[in-house]
Amino acid sequence: MHILSAVILWIEPPNVIAESIRNGGSESEFIDGCHVLLSVASLTSSSLFDNLLKSIRQYGTINLLSALTSEAVKSVLDNQNEEETWGSDALDILLETWNVILGEACADKSPMSADGALAASNLFKIIVESHLKAAADSAFEDSDDAEYFHVSVSKRDEQLALYALIARAAADTTIPFLEQLFSERFARLSQQRDVENDPTRTLEELYWLLLITSHVLTDSGEGETLLIPEALQAGFTNVVEVAQHPVVTLSWSIINFSRQCLDPGIRGRYFSPRLMEAVIWFLARWVATYLVPLDVSREIDSVGRHGSQHSRKLLNSFAWDNNQGELVLDFVVLMSMVALTTYQGEIELQTLTCQKLLASVVRRKHTCAYVVQLDSWRDLTRAFASGRSLFSLSGRLQRSLAETLACAASCIKDPEASVQYLRDLMGPVAGCLVENASRSDLKSVAHQPDVIYMVCCLLERLRGAARATQPRTQKVLFEMGHTVMNSLLTLLEVYKNQSEVIYMILKFVVDFIDGQAVFLDGKETSVLMSFCLRLLQIYSSHNIGKVMLSLSSTLRSESQSEKYKDLRALLRLLTNICSKDLVGFLSDSNIEGSPDIAEVIYVGLDIVTPLISLDLLKYPKLSRDYFVLMSHLLEVYPEKVAHLNRDAFGRITGSLEFGLRNQDGDVVERCLTAVNALASYHFKERLGGRGGLGSQVMESEGSNGKLQESISSHFLRLLLQLLLFEDFRMELAGSAADALLPLLFCEQELYQRLVHELLEKEQNPTVKSRLALAFHNLTSSNNLSSTLDRPNRQKFRKNLRVFLGEVSGFMQIK
Amino acid sequence: PSIRPSLPLRLVSTTPLAPGEQRPLASPDPPENPVDFEFSGGSSEMSDTDEHHFESKADSGASKTYPQQAGAIRKGGHIVIKARPCKVVEVSTSKTGKHGHAKCHFVAIDIFNGKKLEDIVPSSHNCDVPHVDRQDYQLIDITDDGYVSLLTESGNTKDDLKLPTDDVLLGQIKTGFADGKDLILSVMSAMGEEQICAVKEIGGG
Repeated sequence: MHILSAVILWIEPPNVIAESIRNGGSESEFIDGCHVLLSVASLTSSSLFDNLLKSIRQYGTINLLSALTSEAVKSVLDNQNEEETWGSDALDILLETWNVILGEACADKSPMSADGALAASNLFKIIVESHLKAAADSAFEDSDDAEYFHVSVSKRDEQLALYALIARAAADTTIPFLEQLFSERFARLSQQRDVENDPTRTLEELYWLLLITSHVLTDSGEGETLLIPEALQAGFTNVVEVAQHPVVTLSWSIINFSRQCLDPGIRGRYFSPRLMEAVIWFLARWVATYLVPLDVSREIDSVGRHGSQHSRKLLNSFAWDNNQGELVLDFVVLMSMVALTTYQGEIELQTLTCQKLLASVVRRKHTCAYVVQLDSWRDLTRAFASGRSLFSLSGRLQRSLAETLACAASCIKDPEASVQYLRDLMGPVAGCLVENASRSDLKSVAHQPDVIYMVCCLLERLRGAARATQPRTQKVLFEMGHTVMNSLLTLLEVYKNQSEVIYMILKFVVDFIDGQAVFLDGKETSVLMSFCLRLLQIYSSHNIGKVMLSLSSTLRSESQSEKYKDLRALLRLLTNICSKDLVGFLSDSNIEGSPDIAEVIYVGLDIVTPLISLDLLKYPKLSRDYFVLMSHLLEVYPEKVAHLNRDAFGRITGSLEFGLRNQDGDVVERCLTAVNALASYHFKERLGGRGGLGSQVMESEGSNGKLQESISSHFLRLLLQLLLFEDFRMELAGSAADALLPLLFCEQELYQRLVHELLEKEQNPTVKSRLALAFHNLTSSNNLSSTLDRPNRQKFRKNLRVFLGEVSGFMQIK
Repeated sequence: PSIRPSLPLRLVSTTPLAPGEQRPLASPDPPENPVDFEFSGGSSEMSDTDEHHFESKADSGASKTYPQQAGAIRKGGHIVIKARPCKVVEVSTSKTGKHGHAKCHFVAIDIFNGKKLEDIVPSSHNCDVPHVDRQDYQLIDITDDGYVSLLTESGNTKDDLKLPTDDVLLGQIKTGFADGKDLILSVMSAMGEEQICAVKEIGGG
């Protein structure tokens, strides 16, 4: 309270102060005053906050807040140039203050006082009017490319969401206010129909209105169940009839306007791509919020015909009255079709349609189950499966659309109908690919751009469907994949020089395996493995044996990135193939003709290792993918890797050595895991009297030319070097301990010798004795024994941490 | 009013299923109810829904371009700008006014001479996409006047190509050939123009 009366002069009266700042006065006191309000709000409940000012003024604090916020909004929209940020700084603080107060009001379930609500209502009106004016003024400017950047869109959304909170605090006046504004502009547009007036200003105002209204009526939340905002559910205590509820009338007003976009004439006249985007965005959120599942809305008790409970019930069920919900869903599908087919080249609009609107319908079981039975949906799927209009969509969109359409299959109750749906949807796509691949004149037409384009579209669609794999649809989608397997091999051969196509084939297979792996039975796994083996062999035959001497400069840089993309896809493919899900089957199965998993791995590694140069490993994503694969393979099949030929094995260990010094902590960790796997395998084999890694050696430069030493000794040296003399991250200590322990066991003599050498080199006697003690404790504390079981490993991890803490002080200096 | 691009493809819609009828996915074996899709190629088969065919353009030396919607051309794809075949290095979209339609701004590099070219096209309009071909030939000989003699797949020789102007490439070819190595030259061709773009050695041991 005292603080408030102290700073009050800084912020009152708001309009006078704002004016003086514009005329050159200092803004810091004003901003500080706003900060004070925020701090006070955070410390008190909302009613207390409001009452604070009443002891020294005729009105509550909220009124002041409202006036301040109006000023800030006006400054931001009217007068601000780039350097003056006080308006937007103040606005941020003030909006946050509102956020705090309104958040509390909700939590306390104590509604705002009447004049508080009035203040909020007035503020909202000013906000909307200011923004509308700004929108109209900017209507003829070229749109900022910046508008589509994620950062500015999410900042805009944040701000709109805060405005929406203010609106909801006085919903009984603000919602009708919004409806009024909409009606005015709808009328303007239909009047303009007959006169050749440029509707752009009105369109831009509508664009903004749709955005803010959507925020007021709905909350955002990807993938969550969207609830009707609590403030709206509780806020209309006087409403009795559905047709009088402002939220209801506003919703239908907007939706009825939107329906006009189905008329080609009207669409061409004023449903610009930008307006369509706003409409689609609004609809997506509205459908997800107000088409409440019946079982949810039934649970809401309707107590009498009055009061907030009645209004709550009403709001949760109005959308389904009189079949309106069904009509809306039908309209959504029709509108999507229009957006995808008649707005050629409007990528943002089409992306929104697919990934927001259609996705929001398909993701919710109750709306999806209804939609799949509609004629309009059938038209859409048919157009996708066999029409040509949707082939002009960008590849990524076709993938997205395929996924969305395929997802709907899970909502079809009858299992046979569900299967048939997918067959009808994807059958033609698969069939088309097969037909093309079996053409006798394929080689002569394959490289025409239109054929390449078509092939890529088909592959994208297959990828999309593969991503929609779910338990109920897995078998059909496997069937789909199986159908195209031979064709893919043919295409791999024909398009060997067309990296774009190769890449897409690989990505499809990766996604396919990803989706299918957990569901496959023994026979299916075998089929898949045979296919992958053939795939790898063909890929390998095109890429090995021809050493690229030189490329013209224009091709040089792009070749690198092409190889890079190919390789990443290949690595992911191998990782997926070797996943434990698939492997389990293969090792147990006695199925005829089942390929040996080892063979698959060998072929895979054979391709990958020569192509991976240390140069390429500098690309962070590629190196991460590579080391994920390596560490995985070594963990699961150390014995297979151990028996690779010398060159291949050498490349792998070389890459591990490189990886241990990588910047990316994740990569280092994986390399440590790999080393652990190798060393543990070696130790166990030796314990059992077998050779282990004995046949493999590593070459390194010694003082007398090339030295050969065993794998374990090489990595022991390397690891000690890293731990003691190079920058080592403590968070990796656990993994390092796991790698070090088996190495120690394998090379006890070498270890003793190295420690001894180290101690001898140490001149300083205090350091020397501390070091000796640390080493002693490393291998004997906690009753460390000579096994690799879990408890022992844990002990060693502790020991190593203590050791590193001890020596880090004096070792790093070297 | 929007513009529908003309795709030279023909896709025939499926015949509707009778209730309860099932259609299996097209499999490598001849399907029972064949799905009626075709890329009708060189054959002059006409069907009742005769729309656009595309023919095999392999033998026609002339037009080696194909129309594609501007919005569908991505970075890394090809495009014809000012009658030159180019590779797209950057695409950005903007609008003609806030409520206008989208247009694509392409920045591309001429695939033969490396010059940078730009173009702005409404996203719904068609652009020409060049057919870029890459063929490998074995190097047989280098003539004194700077031409190469290449062995084609059919066993004939191709003698109409000059050595490339790129220094590094040229050097590798000359030295490789002088050393008696077996060299494979990659020839890139588009819109009637050809150029050697890569050299490989038939690999090791």
